[in-house]
Amino acid sequence: MNTTLEAPGAVVDEPVVADGLFNTLYAELHRLARREVHRRGSVSGLGVTTVLHEAYLSMSGTEGTVFVDHARFLAYAARVMRGLIIDDVRRRRSAKRGGLFALTALGTDHAYSVANPEALTQIGDALDELATVEPDLAEIVDLKFFCGFSFIEIAAMRGVSERTIQRNWEKGRLYLHHAIAAQPAAMGIHAVTQP
Amino acid sequence: MPSLNPDRWRALSPYLDEALELPTADRAAWLASVGARDADLAADLRAMLVEQDLVHESGFMEGAALAPGLAPMPSLEGQVLGAYRLVSPIGQGGMGSVWLAERCDGRFEGRAAVKLLNTALIGRAGEERFTREGTILARVRHPRIAHLIDAGVSPTGQPYLVLEYVDGQRIDQYCDEHALGVDARLRLFLDVLEAVAHAHANLVVHRDIKPANVLVSVDGQVKLLDFGIAKLIERNAEWDATSSAGQSALTREGGAALTPEFAAPEQLSGGDVTTATDVYALGVLLYVLLSGQHPAGRALHTPATLIRAIVETDPPRVSDAVVSQDEPQEALAHHATQCRTTPGRLSRALRGDLDTIVAKALKKDASERYASVTAMADDLGRSLRHEPIGALPDTLRYRTVRFVQRHVRGVAASVAVVVLIVGMTAIYTIRLSAERDRAQKEAAKAARISEALTGLLTGADPIANRATGEGLTVRGLLDAGAAQMQKELEGQPEAQAEILTVMGRLYRRFGAFDKAQALLEQALASGRAVYGTEHPRLALTLNDLGALLAEKGAYATAGSSLEEALSMRRRIHGPEHRDVAVTLAELGRVYQDQGLNARAEPLHREALAIRRKVLGEDDRETAVSLSDVASVLRLNGDLSGAESFLRQCLELNRKTRGDDHPNTAMTLHDLGLVAAGRADFASAESLFQQAMDIQRKSLGDKHPVVATSLNSLSHVWLAQGKHAAAASALREALDIAVPVLGGDHQLVAIYTINLASVYLARREPAAAEALLREGLRIRALSPEVVPNRRRILSEDDWSVGATKSLLGAALTGLGRYDEAEAVLLEARRDLEAMPAPRKPEMKATIARLVQLYDAWGKPDKAAAHRAQLAS
Repeated sequence: MNTTLEAPGAVVDEPVVADGLFNTLYAELHRLARREVHRRGSVSGLGVTTVLHEAYLSMSGTEGTVFVDHARFLAYAARVMRGLIIDDVRRRRSAKRGGLFALTALGTDHAYSVANPEALTQIGDALDELATVEPDLAEIVDLKFFCGFSFIEIAAMRGVSERTIQRNWEKGRLYLHHAIAAQPAAMGIHAVTQP
Repeated sequence: MPSLNPDRWRALSPYLDEALELPTADRAAWLASVGARDADLAADLRAMLVEQDLVHESGFMEGAALAPGLAPMPSLEGQVLGAYRLVSPIGQGGMGSVWLAERCDGRFEGRAAVKLLNTALIGRAGEERFTREGTILARVRHPRIAHLIDAGVSPTGQPYLVLEYVDGQRIDQYCDEHALGVDARLRLFLDVLEAVAHAHANLVVHRDIKPANVLVSVDGQVKLLDFGIAKLIERNAEWDATSSAGQSALTREGGAALTPEFAAPEQLSGGDVTTATDVYALGVLLYVLLSGQHPAGRALHTPATLIRAIVETDPPRVSDAVVSQDEPQEALAHHATQCRTTPGRLSRALRGDLDTIVAKALKKDASERYASVTAMADDLGRSLRHEPIGALPDTLRYRTVRFVQRHVRGVAASVAVVVLIVGMTAIYTIRLSAERDRAQKEAAKAARISEALTGLLTGADPIANRATGEGLTVRGLLDAGAAQMQKELEGQPEAQAEILTVMGRLYRRFGAFDKAQALLEQALASGRAVYGTEHPRLALTLNDLGALLAEKGAYATAGSSLEEALSMRRRIHGPEHRDVAVTLAELGRVYQDQGLNARAEPLHREALAIRRKVLGEDDRETAVSLSDVASVLRLNGDLSGAESFLRQCLELNRKTRGDDHPNTAMTLHDLGLVAAGRADFASAESLFQQAMDIQRKSLGDKHPVVATSLNSLSHVWLAQGKHAAAASALREALDIAVPVLGGDHQLVAIYTINLASVYLARREPAAAEALLREGLRIRALSPEVVPNRRRILSEDDWSVGATKSLLGAALTGLGRYDEAEAVLLEARRDLEAMPAPRKPEMKATIARLVQLYDAWGKPDKAAAHRAQLAS
């Protein structure tokens, strides 16, 4: 029916608003994560989704930050969460002490172990690039990889089929793989195409 | 392949979508066919697909960045919960997911919806809320509410609800896909109301009514879903004294996950959530169904504007929304098609009762909404049967509209006329509330209203625009409308009396006093012909005519017209009626304007007494009367009396309108005048400043009311010798007033004269002279040219003398003694001729004469005037 009800990308469209929002959300997620650490030693497992849902509940009660809906909130919060996780990893690397998030090693035979903070940072950088090229794909990567939502959950959030989400995930991670593979050769993702 | 740049990626992206959907075996053939058209593209794609294989083999980014538990949840498909087996997910909400399930114990055939609580929320507040949904659903059984079949906890500790499965679609989509007309939509909506009313009768507030929660099944049955954040009304909760039966106080649950688009103001501002909250959401839903738009319109696009829209802004009327110029015209046409009509016809169908019903449901103040869902349903039912609806926010506006339907449509009036009438009724409403709010200065209102009217008329109907062609003006439309109305209503004196009164008011608003007077007098004549000597409508016309004549400065005839209205209203309604109070206040102001405060005071006091008794101590109109009495007392020099009334008025305004309301600001300002009258400049300054801060915040920096406060502040600053501050305040006042009010407005004259006196104090007589002459020019204009004269300066005649006196001082300063003497003597004559003595001004004038003769070298004349000063 009408288009006004389905206003797209309401939150991310406005840079000024988004910056303020980013900071607020970041602080809120950080606060919730620290509480989680206090309780359980680290934010892991279901912790992140819990933190996100709780952030929604706490922020939807705050004046001035009402999100158009839960799904849009989660998509945006997932990006903020990624920043929080990567910052945490970086901080931990320099301070050499326990952080908020427990990172999992996915097995030594995998070429890109996420236990490797370097790799995680590279993924983060590549994701920023992807977000400028195909924001939808970056959002799905944030939701799945950094927040642990399942394809079904993401599909339900966005009102599309699970198959679509899965295909977009494949594309997104292909992009990231490609971008990171290009890096050791000292070529940025935006480097001029070599002949 | 080389590294990717964004353009290359975008070029590849759609092909990758295609490729990733293909079975691996088909990829080679597909690449070949792409290669036949574009070899480079095919080469890049081939490289990407090779890399894709590598990604898979290496398990790149498999799992998640975080520890186990974040890995994709094992699919629940096939899991058995109680007697049901989960088949496929059908939805996901904040609380969990919903699955389609099939009965698997063989006892019954059948499908159900199984709602699973998000495991992350187990053991938290969510679980409690989840259980409550079960409890609530168990108590609301209704054919139009998806009912609870079973509830339980799985062996793994997963709580679940088994609900009736509704195979249907959202109500808004259903209406559009089935191209339901307005009446069919209303009938469907009545079913929704029935379901909600049933929930309310069982003390359950839904709190999340929105299209996604109202499904229409394939057989056309409405089903209300998702009581996920519904709340039980506690039986022993304190009953809210001000709301009507059926609404009880409900504490708001912290951080409820509501849907902002359908949230009522009180849900966002943390107020009590009651059945009225559902009434609001139903209002939004009805608005959406009828107009295809959300009432917040474009404000929906950002969270901040959405909140402001919900809490502060009244939505456009639904009939205006469907022909809004702000919306894409194709979208409007599309929606109208889905209602089996055209935008113009749709607008006309919605205009009137449906506008009223939707607006009443969407009132910001919960106590002004329908007291119950049933009351709303009653009105909708009546509207469907074309019977007069019951609850009406504004009977006068309603009467006019009804009248139009009865008469004008009957006479097959042109579209233009119908449009015009709708515009007028809107203005009529504004006018009425303005009448009650005289504490607010009206200077800018005419401008704002003409803007609103222009918007209404041009936005309302393109046919009307075409008919009038270019050079469309509100006045032009009004004139055309007036002529046509008079012609078409010939032989219908009753209708004429009513419409002419409305139009007379409109012309008055535009400052077209003669035209207004002619119409009102004609209305009066028609009215007397129909109603004889006495009728409420006749009294209304007399009241309006009196107010108009007063505005023209014809106080004597104004007084007699108002006296007649007053005695008629007293005879019809008895001595204590709100209409009597309106005329009393009007008459009191007429006397006040003539400087007859002694006669005005008892009238204002009587109006106040009536309003206190009939409307209550806490009514907004009572506040207006308090302010009227205070102003009489202040002008009589009874400053402490004035202050006491103003304090009551302030408290009342704060209570009924809030700290940031313009009326509250105006009362603070008037208290500042009292302080200034006592020469307590520090208090006066602070009060004026507070008033101005509120005005700037609530009305904007460019509102003429801000200029009023700047002017008052300049008085204080001038008295304190802060000349620079006073001058810049007055310059800002003029910068605000001239563009809005025009250069001939009396307020402009006042600011100009005051600025001149600042220049005089700074010993800059040349600058002062020019400003004073301009001020006098405006003051000399007839009230016909200058509307609102009487409201600006209460006893305005002496001010001309006072201004001449200032001019004399300026001329003395310039050494033009002959001219100065003539002007000062004239000023003294003017002031002497005033009915009430103006001692301070007289004294100042004589002192200026002394100054003049001293400077001129005429010591004997100077001495003679010195002697007068001493006496």
